[in-house]
Amino acid sequence: MKLGELKENTEAVVSGISGDQRFIGRITSIGLTPGCRISVVKNDKNRPVLLYSRDTMIAVNRRECEGIEVTEVRA
Amino acid sequence: MSAATIALLGQPNSGKSTLFNALTGLRQHVGNWPGKTVEKKEGTFTHGSDTYSVADLPGSYSMSANSDEEVITRDFIASGKADVVCILADSSQLERSLFMLADYAGLSAPCFLVLNMEDVAKEQGKTIDPQAIEKKIGIPVMMFSATDTKAYDKFYATLERALRNKSQIDVSALEKEYEKIGGYSEIKEQLVDDTISGYTPMWLTVKVLENDKVVSAKLKNTLPDDKMQEIENAAKSSDGAIATGECKFAWIDGILDGAVNETKTAAKLGKLDRIYTHKFWGKPAVVLTVILGLIASFIPAVPIMGVGMGVSALGGLLKETMIAAGSPDLLTGIICDVIIQSLFYIINMLGFVFGVTLVFGLLEEVGVMARISYVFDNTMGKLGLQGKSVMPFLVSFGCTMGGAAGARVIDNWGQKVLTIALAWAVPCGAAWSIVPMLSTVFFGAGAPLVIIAILLVMILHMWVTAKIFSRGLVKTEDKYGMVMELPPYHKPKWGALFRYVLGRTKDTFFRVTKVVLIVCAIFWLLSFTTGSVEDTILYKVGVAIEPVTKFFGLTWPLFLAFIASMVGKEGAIGVISALYTGGSIYAAVGGGAVAANIGEILTANVTQPEALAFIFAITFNLPCIVALAATYQEIHSVKWTTRIALYYIATSLILAFAAYHIGLLIF
Repeated sequence: MKLGELKENTEAVVSGISGDQRFIGRITSIGLTPGCRISVVKNDKNRPVLLYSRDTMIAVNRRECEGIEVTEVRA
Repeated sequence: MSAATIALLGQPNSGKSTLFNALTGLRQHVGNWPGKTVEKKEGTFTHGSDTYSVADLPGSYSMSANSDEEVITRDFIASGKADVVCILADSSQLERSLFMLADYAGLSAPCFLVLNMEDVAKEQGKTIDPQAIEKKIGIPVMMFSATDTKAYDKFYATLERALRNKSQIDVSALEKEYEKIGGYSEIKEQLVDDTISGYTPMWLTVKVLENDKVVSAKLKNTLPDDKMQEIENAAKSSDGAIATGECKFAWIDGILDGAVNETKTAAKLGKLDRIYTHKFWGKPAVVLTVILGLIASFIPAVPIMGVGMGVSALGGLLKETMIAAGSPDLLTGIICDVIIQSLFYIINMLGFVFGVTLVFGLLEEVGVMARISYVFDNTMGKLGLQGKSVMPFLVSFGCTMGGAAGARVIDNWGQKVLTIALAWAVPCGAAWSIVPMLSTVFFGAGAPLVIIAILLVMILHMWVTAKIFSRGLVKTEDKYGMVMELPPYHKPKWGALFRYVLGRTKDTFFRVTKVVLIVCAIFWLLSFTTGSVEDTILYKVGVAIEPVTKFFGLTWPLFLAFIASMVGKEGAIGVISALYTGGSIYAAVGGGAVAANIGEILTANVTQPEALAFIFAITFNLPCIVALAATYQEIHSVKWTTRIALYYIATSLILAFAAYHIGLLIF
């Protein structure tokens, strides 16, 4: 599923990133790489998704979320 | 001659600017990189008997070629202009913020690593062992907290150690990771140590894998075709950027393993963040924060503005004395009306610039600005701007110059210029001080409708202006949506902040004085008279071109008031008053007396459609000369400042034209 589809307070693992080189560069440089664990802190309509990963609170615009594939993990 | 040049490199929120300000204090210079719209910050500091130069490299999250900033940064490093590069990382988010170090690894310039925000990491219960990290990566590593005064001695010692040893990152472990990527070895074989000076073959190979167009183009220029073909073939069969990203983080994990002890921090929002990120209360909370910030800006501003008032009062006294002593009108005019009056404008402005820079610099530093960005990301994104741009807009309801000064927290030059260009459309406090009065005089109970119309036109204006200006200012790569961190809140470093704000205020003073003096002098000359208003050049020109200005609904007194409103809107009504009652135009612009029966004068001489045209003309005209000067100070571009100014004069006349003709239909 896409990052934007995750519900609040769920845990997931990034399974793939797709987009042009610039997009991939930006996403990896902020710490989101395949295999990395994330937890969704907030996911409100019309706001960037807030997630926590690698010790960091990260905001990702909804359009950008489309390029990030995730797999939900049950705690 | 400086002992050495240090370049500061770090991701946003790594505390780079704070360190730069703390090191250089008032000894800094802000300009643009040659031929680029990227801000260049340089400064110097003295330690012992040596003077060092510091370059604050424009930064993003990595060393790739995603933006002008990043290309400038890596070209600067590779050029060897820096004797040593200080790489900053945030201790409280070490894993992610070491990405810059991993992306740097393979550049030839010596470097050392500063783990900033030691205090925040401690609060989170993290302990970091810098020696363990140093052993693994082979360059000096130190913990640092900008708020700790003792930390600077440690900083100087580490800096000297890095300079002495010309320390370079030990990349063997990182390269082992890269070697696992298909195509890596094949590409690297084609390269030698000085294929492109400043970069190692490993670094170049990684960038080729990441499909870095700038690096590929450089290689194409240097390598023979057959080698380049090999490289392109190998790169094609590889899964590139994602794989190299994984390698970098695997290397970082290896470095941190055993060097960091942490109690697992939960992914939870603090109390304040729960409000800021609330889907309903977030926006009101941000607006309230900015308004409170604006009010707080006046606390440091008021005493300085008091000084301005004092200068103005002294000028008045001086003028009386000079006139009594029989000094020629021209001399009295130049000294009292031009120079002292300009000083009054400038000092008032400086007070406000000081206040706004301090308060909004503080909000930026403690981390509030990142929340503002988050909340308004979607809304501002539609205009091609960052979420932060909402702050200058709100500040501009008070004062456009404050909005321009506040726009400096926007780290992208093009978006900063666009933000200021849009902020000009927001009617400022001076407009609000005359528009309701004029509306009531002419339209009575209909006045609120005029105000609503102004607000609607403002929104439309901003939307259209964004469309027109964004083309040349905001590049497609900046149109990407927000991918950013919300840093933990941290304590401000007051000393560095104050020195930075003082420095910027000083810079503003020198740049702005020129502009204001020139404009004041021109306006003074145009309105200079020894007798009646009819002798002034302004009057003569105004009357002569009235047939044209009437087209826009502006009779000559209204048009002169429109021209005067470019100096300061608050003077517009005073000018009309002076024109009808025979006072001095120039004094009126500076806030001179308004006739007691101004309401009667206006209704007797101005029709309702003309009044409507006038209201729109002055509301959407360029805000005032100090706002113009502050804009120039912020964007360092004569070209864009002029463009924006001319655009506003033209659009305000178009709006006046529209208002006049709509008015003719209604009334």
